Amino acid sequence: MMNEIILNSHNKNLIKKKRFWNTSLIVLLLIGIVLSSKIIDTNISDLFNGITRLGDYISKILPSLELNNLFLGSKDQGSIAYWYFNISKYLKLLFETFNMALLATMTGSILALFLSFLAAKNTSPNSLLFFSIRRMLEFFRGVPEIIFAILFVWVLGIGPLAGIIAITIHTTGSLGKLFSEVYENSNNRPIEALKASGGNWLSEMKFGLLPQVLPNLISYALLRFEINIRASTILGFVGAGGIGQELYLVINFNYYEEVSAIILLIILTVISIDLLSGHIRKNIIGFDND
Amino acid sequence: MKPLKIKNLKKKFKDTLAINGVNLEIEEGKITGIIGRSGSGKSTLLRMINRLIEPSEGTIEFNDIIITEIKGKALRKWRSECAMIFQQFNLVDRLDVLTNVLIGSLGRSYSFLNLFGYFSKEEKINALRNLNRFELTEKSLQRAGTLSGGQQQRVAIARALMQKPKILLADEPISSLDPKNSKRVMDDMLKINREDGITIICNLHSLEIAKKYCDRLIGLSEGKVVFDGKPKELTTNISKKLYDLDDE
Amino acid sequence: MTNQEIVMLNPKIFSPLWKRSPIKIVVFLIIFSYLIFSIKYFNISITELINDLNKMKPILISMITWNDFLSWNFNSILVGILQTLAMAFLGTVAASVISVPLGLIASRQVIKINLFRFIIRRFLDFIRGVDILIWALIFVRAFGLGPLSGVLAIFVADTGTLSKLYSEAADNSDNKQIEGLVSSGSTKLSTIRFGLLPQVMPIFISQSLYFFESNSRSAVILGIVGAGGIGLQLSERMKAQYWDQAFFIIIIILIMVAIIDKLSRFLREKLIND
Repeated sequence: MMNEIILNSHNKNLIKKKRFWNTSLIVLLLIGIVLSSKIIDTNISDLFNGITRLGDYISKILPSLELNNLFLGSKDQGSIAYWYFNISKYLKLLFETFNMALLATMTGSILALFLSFLAAKNTSPNSLLFFSIRRMLEFFRGVPEIIFAILFVWVLGIGPLAGIIAITIHTTGSLGKLFSEVYENSNNRPIEALKASGGNWLSEMKFGLLPQVLPNLISYALLRFEINIRASTILGFVGAGGIGQELYLVINFNYYEEVSAIILLIILTVISIDLLSGHIRKNIIGFDND
Repeated sequence: MKPLKIKNLKKKFKDTLAINGVNLEIEEGKITGIIGRSGSGKSTLLRMINRLIEPSEGTIEFNDIIITEIKGKALRKWRSECAMIFQQFNLVDRLDVLTNVLIGSLGRSYSFLNLFGYFSKEEKINALRNLNRFELTEKSLQRAGTLSGGQQQRVAIARALMQKPKILLADEPISSLDPKNSKRVMDDMLKINREDGITIICNLHSLEIAKKYCDRLIGLSEGKVVFDGKPKELTTNISKKLYDLDDE
Repeated sequence: MTNQEIVMLNPKIFSPLWKRSPIKIVVFLIIFSYLIFSIKYFNISITELINDLNKMKPILISMITWNDFLSWNFNSILVGILQTLAMAFLGTVAASVISVPLGLIASRQVIKINLFRFIIRRFLDFIRGVDILIWALIFVRAFGLGPLSGVLAIFVADTGTLSKLYSEAADNSDNKQIEGLVSSGSTKLSTIRFGLLPQVMPIFISQSLYFFESNSRSAVILGIVGAGGIGLQLSERMKAQYWDQAFFIIIIILIMVAIIDKLSRFLREKLIND
């Protein structure tokens, strides 16, 4: 009898608590919406209008393909070749984009590898070094690559090099942090054995640590490559090379059909790189950080 | 050559004294067993000899060198002369057996090329010779992680021999092994002691094995030496005390 | 045993490296030749690069010397930060609202027709393939400069990802509760309402919170193409070479992101524990 009463009141308390949470969540949400709308000086109807007008825009950029003419030459309206009359330029830029991402991922991974040993609690030889490298990596990771790109376009001039350096820096930050977390979760015993046999710090890292974490590191680097492919498609917006430069141009000049042509190419590239890299991670390296 | 001298050694972890004033002289060429229940400070003592753990007080001396004061290169040289094997073998699972053994040479003769995985023919011959002593040559190119526990511990001993050590510290070398593999590992340690004259200091949990293989036994309890003598001098009474069996 | 006999025990060990591990050599060669290729391809001259990077020095110095700190326009920075947060919030809320029905119809638990689900999922993949900054640029072009374009960009980009995550959460929900309702003869809609939604709602909310967190980060850059917020303030100052103010804004952004991180993590933990 007594127990039942306690149980009941406990249940009631739980329900009350849940209700309290639900109501406060909704109230918070409403306050947030009202406040945010005020700040950016907009309202729900603007939002709705925007979404409907997006439909207009999309219908404009879609190519006017005609089934009968689909496979005709680039001078005939309604053909794929007409839609993609600029394909050789796109492919060239796409290739540049791909190479920007690949080179930046490689150099970024190598830099991250060296810095990460210093930025992990259990492998850093010196606490001052640990602290300063960590902060530096956090900064590199915290600042979006496009901000670095603006800076390096200013320093190096317009072109892919600015983009490569921007992505490299951001990659170094992200991977450096991820790598050092991998070390912190690694097995310390082989390192201890190397230390006990009189090995120096470098050989502790090379023989004690690297063999156990390498698959994990490569997998993270591949994952980063997927992200960098996306990033390198947009850096052209600020003049840092790649297909983004062309996309920026066609959007701004309202070359509607070219917009869809380029976006479709980007999506296909991104998706196929994702699939390929995912396949390598799962089947060849046998490691998946997803 | 002079014995390893431990003088008034203490180690404090936060507020517990793991080692509370140990004085010992360990003579060359013998097998010395350190016994006591877990938490008695055996492992801490061994690790301080190799300087994997820094003592809070006291000194360790060997060959007129004060081990507890050396740094950098000298410390690495000492560690290479004073090899260590572990309860969990501490091999690099993903590397092959041969490389695991070769790693032992790094403290003694390190070259920049080693970092690229290069080892000289001479060291490779050394490594194979050591593996051959423990009948492990045909496993040379297998990943260490694929070996049984007993085999892994013998690889670890081969690795220790690569250091050309004067002393071998063995921290609970057979605690994760079955009786058959335990015997094999202990026999191999006996072999390198008798054939190479390597001094062995060995933490052991099992009294029976300690009595069988060691020339001298040291009993630790709460960080203090409570017994020091020949195995036959260890009476049931003392061992009961050592393992705190009185309370049960 | 002589050395020769030892070698004969396992001669393979003593063969040259390219015979022992050819894969290592091949991988190394590929990476090396790719690096050579890309230096040629991008026309990178190391000496020139170092020279150019030397130009960074005055910029770095001016980043950290805040001479006329008190005269900076803090008001515009504050407004920028608030705008960015507001954009992230509204974009996430709008995307979450539309992602609930989208995610549900893309889920196995709700619609059993494979082809239909396949089409919806590919459509979502398609949306996700376009970077948020591309959306922002499109909206700026279509509706003009300002935060509304930013909100819409976040909304569209997030709808792609959130719907997919929502549908996966719904896929992984517990079947028994749903079957119980079906067997007692409830309608499809009420099965979803009482069998599925209560299970997945906490996951949905937690994922949306996580997205708010990551959106407050991506909303930062939307201003670069004119879609409002702190990014606009930042890129304007970078273009005008006010490196000191630009660096200040970057620090403010990092602090803002760190606070949102902590807050959202706290709320998500609270949510999951309840």
